Amino acid sequence: MDRFLRLIGFLVIIFIAAPLVIVVPISFSNARSLQFPPPGYWLGYYQAYFSDTDWLRPTFNSILIATATTVLTMVLVVPATFALVRHRFYGKSVADLMMLMPLAVPHIVMAVGYYSFLGNLRLVHTHMGVVLAHACLSVPIAFLVLSANLKGFDRNLERAAQSLGASPVQTFIHVTLPILRPGLFISALFAFIQSFDETVVAIFISGRDAETLPRKMFDSIRQEADPVIAVISTLLFAAVLLALLTPLAWSSIRKRLRKRPPAAAFSGG
Amino acid sequence: MQSYLQLNGVTKTFGDFTALQKVDLAIDKGEFVTFLGPSGSGKTTTLMIIAGFEKATCGDVLVEGRSLSGLAPHERNIGIVFQNYALFPHKTALENVYFPLQMRGVKHPVGLKNAADMLELVGLKGFGHRYPKELSGGQQQRVALARALVFEPSLLLLDEPLGALDKNLREQMQIEIKRIQRALGVTTIFVTHDQTEAMSMSDRIVVFEKGSIQQVATPLEVYHKPRTRFVAGFIGESNIIEATVVDPAARKATAEHIGEIEYAPSEFSLHKGTPVTLIIRPEHIRLSRDPKKGRHNARMKVETIVNYGDNALVIGRVGEQSMRVRVLGADVVIIKEGEDCHVSWTPDSVYMIAK
Repeated sequence: MDRFLRLIGFLVIIFIAAPLVIVVPISFSNARSLQFPPPGYWLGYYQAYFSDTDWLRPTFNSILIATATTVLTMVLVVPATFALVRHRFYGKSVADLMMLMPLAVPHIVMAVGYYSFLGNLRLVHTHMGVVLAHACLSVPIAFLVLSANLKGFDRNLERAAQSLGASPVQTFIHVTLPILRPGLFISALFAFIQSFDETVVAIFISGRDAETLPRKMFDSIRQEADPVIAVISTLLFAAVLLALLTPLAWSSIRKRLRKRPPAAAFSGG
Repeated sequence: MQSYLQLNGVTKTFGDFTALQKVDLAIDKGEFVTFLGPSGSGKTTTLMIIAGFEKATCGDVLVEGRSLSGLAPHERNIGIVFQNYALFPHKTALENVYFPLQMRGVKHPVGLKNAADMLELVGLKGFGHRYPKELSGGQQQRVALARALVFEPSLLLLDEPLGALDKNLREQMQIEIKRIQRALGVTTIFVTHDQTEAMSMSDRIVVFEKGSIQQVATPLEVYHKPRTRFVAGFIGESNIIEATVVDPAARKATAEHIGEIEYAPSEFSLHKGTPVTLIIRPEHIRLSRDPKKGRHNARMKVETIVNYGDNALVIGRVGEQSMRVRVLGADVVIIKEGEDCHVSWTPDSVYMIAK
């Protein structure tokens, strides 16, 4: 029974992971379009990606837009989360709901709304327009992550800091911020990924000038199924893997470094 | 004479609910005072008002004659140990203890040396580089204590600091805290709902109930001369006897089921016919087969015997009056449940409490 369950679990993992893994060999393929299994291997499409401005420009656009979106999101979300988690005020539940609204509304609806709204402001087809729209979508995600962190934060730590002579600002810098740092980091990471990954709104409002990478990929797959798409997917996959594994590796390295010879034996008590 | 710490008419209300009702208290320098009471009795609220985390609705807190009311918590120079220790998880034990010095602008070599000295005083020499999660509960407690003391606070507040420890460790820490407090001579307020902790550690105990102070006295006084019925019931066990004074000069009263009973001298002004409440502690009553000479005797029917090994609690009735008697383990063999026996006491173990 135990073995059977393990087998099922293994199969489910394969089913989920296969599409992720399949793009890797395709990216090294020498076929003229997306094809699996690849007929032969070469690095030509990597070269093509890194030398073609039609691909590099959307890449830089995406990085620029996602970075700006992350900054704007965090500027809005950090104070909002502190207010909504720590304070009671009139209209709090409405404010809570409004923060999460963009999660509930289908992206296509938001996209149509932004198209006409930003059109009136003459922000369609501009970086600024995409950043504003993406920030709206990133805010609820960053808020959810950060508020979960803040709810679990022991306020006695802040009280302790104050009783020990730290002013409210010092308390925030020396205690609140360092302890919340992982939460803030993950919150910002999610905001970044959300923007980097977003396609529907980008298709509606990014236009030629602010064209993002997902939009370019979407256009490409419709027109020519260029294997460069697999190259980009592989690179993104590698980047995510790196981002996830680096903190793990770092903490285990640090642990090993800090382990000292057992001079001070652990005496109970 | 002016007291070191003074609470004048401190009152705290939350909407309609009165959490604290005109609390007056004076504490001397170097004293170890325990706030004792059940949860919701106002003891923690009082502590939070002294620390500055709660604002009193009215009344004032003074240290050496100066009011604290205009000062934010970080300006009060008061050390606090929280129930869950509240150690900074991202700092090592040494960095935790250094933190209050850092906030006071003490530079690294001197500050770290002071912090290390304080860790040594609490018995954690060589543990400075560990993070809180790498320390046991008792060790975390010591770090929290060192951190609250290293900046020479004018007052040390301990908010149920032993609640999370197991019994043996708790007893060990009681002795430790007392030792460190004596060594530094810091004025200390210790909040607990555990009466044995209060009895064993304090110079004086302040008993709280329903937002007001019931009694302020030394542990022995609180035990032997509880001022109110609540104190008598909360600290130790008591046999409570309702009686009426018959002869104030001879200190004699009469109770329904026991008959005439002589009581210890009391400060209350009494007349013939005054209704009074008398208490006798279970360990002041003796159990025997026959009446004892020179003691007040009564016949008791034994209902239940609860054995604790070194001692036993015998529960029975004198008439309709319920009685609890604490006897040494060896003595309990003379009696069985359902039997009759004699209980006896001396008049000086019969205390009167306020009605």
